[in-house]
Amino acid sequence: MTSYFKSILTITIITITAGVMLALSHNATKDKIAYQERQEVLNALKAVLTVHDNQPDKDVIEKDGIKIYVGKNNGEITGYAVNVIETSGYSGAISVLTGVDKKGLISGVAIVYHSETPGLGDKIEDSEFLQSFEGLNINDRIAVKKDGGEIEQFSGATISPRAVSKAVKNSLEIIIKAAGLEND
Amino acid sequence: MIKGIISNGLYNNNAIFKQMLGLCPTLAVSTSSMNALGMGLATTAVLTGSNFVISIVAKYIPKNVRIPSYIVIIACFVTIIDQMMKANLYSLHKVLGIFIPLIVVNCIVLGRAEAFASKNKPLYSIIDGLSVGLGFTIALFILGSFREIIGAGTFFEMPVMLSSYNPLLIAILPPGAFLFLGFILAGKQFLDDKLKGEK
Repeated sequence: MTSYFKSILTITIITITAGVMLALSHNATKDKIAYQERQEVLNALKAVLTVHDNQPDKDVIEKDGIKIYVGKNNGEITGYAVNVIETSGYSGAISVLTGVDKKGLISGVAIVYHSETPGLGDKIEDSEFLQSFEGLNINDRIAVKKDGGEIEQFSGATISPRAVSKAVKNSLEIIIKAAGLEND
Repeated sequence: MIKGIISNGLYNNNAIFKQMLGLCPTLAVSTSSMNALGMGLATTAVLTGSNFVISIVAKYIPKNVRIPSYIVIIACFVTIIDQMMKANLYSLHKVLGIFIPLIVVNCIVLGRAEAFASKNKPLYSIIDGLSVGLGFTIALFILGSFREIIGAGTFFEMPVMLSSYNPLLIAILPPGAFLFLGFILAGKQFLDDKLKGEK
């Protein structure tokens, strides 16, 4: 009986100590982690939105549970951005951030994270590929050439760029619906 | 004693090249020299910390609950390292991702706790943790550098090959990890045999 008691007591003491240590370390690092995570979102937004001087991660409109970041310059709306998670990639989810200006033209696309094949599918991160979306609007055929669209796929990988195209097209539709932009 | 611990950890009983322990993180994150270094140093920090604490508390822990106790201690260290990396080395943490929390189940760490730290003094345990960890880091770094140079033509993300070099993609894909580990092991065996023959 005493040996059971001793085992239980030991484990209890160890787990409580570990818990206290973790609470301390969590407290010491949580602000910095939150700052780093926010910085990452802001950097990505800066890349896809046109000129803005506000903090788009705080200027958010919500539509059907989807967050839309609004970029403003001197209080005037200059563009919108939305983050879409696309699951039709080659391996795992692709998180795509798409920025649209107030005329409904794509102002920038960024890949937040992905786990496509290194050397093949991960070319979706190349700026050349991402820039090929810029300036397109909802009437353009946003799809890879193989599917009759305007986006250049790269040799050896069609699935990854196809998934990104799909995500960009979705984002554009979401933004246009939510922000009530004209299709011009 | 100390000299023996260090040479065992670094070379004679190298965790990867000799004992072939902890191969899962080895194969998965050795795609570049930077990732390999980050993973190796994170593991070293955990190993040193857990070895130290376990060598102090081991004699108070009843035998039947020692493995759960060690795991809790190791997990505690891993989580602290994970949080510290996330706060200070955010981009590296993002690349290593899930493999940092998975240090908890790296058999090198539990292996050293059970085989060394629980039977030895704190000072020796710290030295053991450091040398096994550095041995692991060096092995990962060699593997990671080879794979990055051949698979991507870069070293620490700086181009080192001629611009006409066409990267051998397989080196940074999962099968490349097995192939290169095999080549490195064969090379080490060859060197060891040569050294022995000369004596």
